[in-house]
Amino acid sequence: MNFTPELQFEGADFRGRVRSLSDDDQANLLNLYQHPELPGQRALDPQSDQAKEHIARMIELSVQMAATQRGIMWALEINDEFQGMVSVFDWQPSHLRATFRVDGLEALTNQQRASALVVCMDFMAEKYHLRNFAYQWIQGQDKELLAMLENIGFERSATLRDGWKLVSDSGEKSYVDTICLNRILGSDVAGRNEGEAS
Amino acid sequence: MNWNFSTANFSLRLPDANQDNDALYELLSQPGVMAHIPKASMSVSAQSLDELRRVAMRFEVRESACWLVEGSFDKQLIARVGVQKINWMTDSAQFWWELSDRIDFTILAEVIPAVMNFCFDELKLNRLEMRVVSGSILHEEYLKQIGFQYEGCLPAQQEFEGKTIDLALYSFLAGDRR
Repeated sequence: MNFTPELQFEGADFRGRVRSLSDDDQANLLNLYQHPELPGQRALDPQSDQAKEHIARMIELSVQMAATQRGIMWALEINDEFQGMVSVFDWQPSHLRATFRVDGLEALTNQQRASALVVCMDFMAEKYHLRNFAYQWIQGQDKELLAMLENIGFERSATLRDGWKLVSDSGEKSYVDTICLNRILGSDVAGRNEGEAS
Repeated sequence: MNWNFSTANFSLRLPDANQDNDALYELLSQPGVMAHIPKASMSVSAQSLDELRRVAMRFEVRESACWLVEGSFDKQLIARVGVQKINWMTDSAQFWWELSDRIDFTILAEVIPAVMNFCFDELKLNRLEMRVVSGSILHEEYLKQIGFQYEGCLPAQQEFEGKTIDLALYSFLAGDRR
């Protein structure tokens, strides 16, 4: 049984899909993690055996996590090219909520991110009746990401002071704020028929 | 590391599943004692024994810790305070408390800073946050008086007794100490 189904979406000038990760994605993921977008996140060394082991383990875990309703990782493709990943984590099935994140290559536009997020949230609402979607924006990330999230229905709910830790190469610690955003569906919306507009 | 400590009038110690079941049940069976979390009060003592075993397991892996607050002289349990979801990557944790009706702000002002100092100085945490059911007026007032800052309200975090629960979020940073 595939717990991470392929979902398709499209925009004015692109065609996209999300799909489950496979062993063939090792090179894609190594490349993606050369361009970390979270503040303080370090690029993986593509030559490192440890990095390759981590990626292989991540792909393996993505299957286990989806099957046990702890998280989902989708590969994100635009016009048939790998451009990033949509992740669901902190999934609380009984509380009908989960947190989302998109990691993308530089070519991935915010419009494409938004389309991918919406199709994934729609799936989670339809299949698992989730009605509370969260996203954490970390100070230092692209500010346009905030506007994109608000455009698709997220609202800022809290600013967590010192919510994220940075460690410099010399080992010095510092902290930055994170903004928590939520998109809440009405109980009449969660579980609606697949394909209906959000 | 010594996890037990005391203030002028109270001792704070890690619970012991072999000896604390009755006292903890008495505390956690009081009506409304966990309504701000939110959790229902306990109705049978097996629940507090189960709780003691679970907190012991979580403490073993340093995911959480909790302390029983007892009077130094009468040894009566008046509260349980703790940290959970300790995140060693971000140096943060969620703070929580369960207070008997004997607690007032004077007692909290003596006990809570001692726990927070332990978290900041011994555990080297930087951020303690507390999430309480939005509208828990007494608890939110206590948090503000202690120096916690309101950060926002996390909507629809869970369903409890037929209601959708929003959680008010407060935090206290190591640097907030005067």
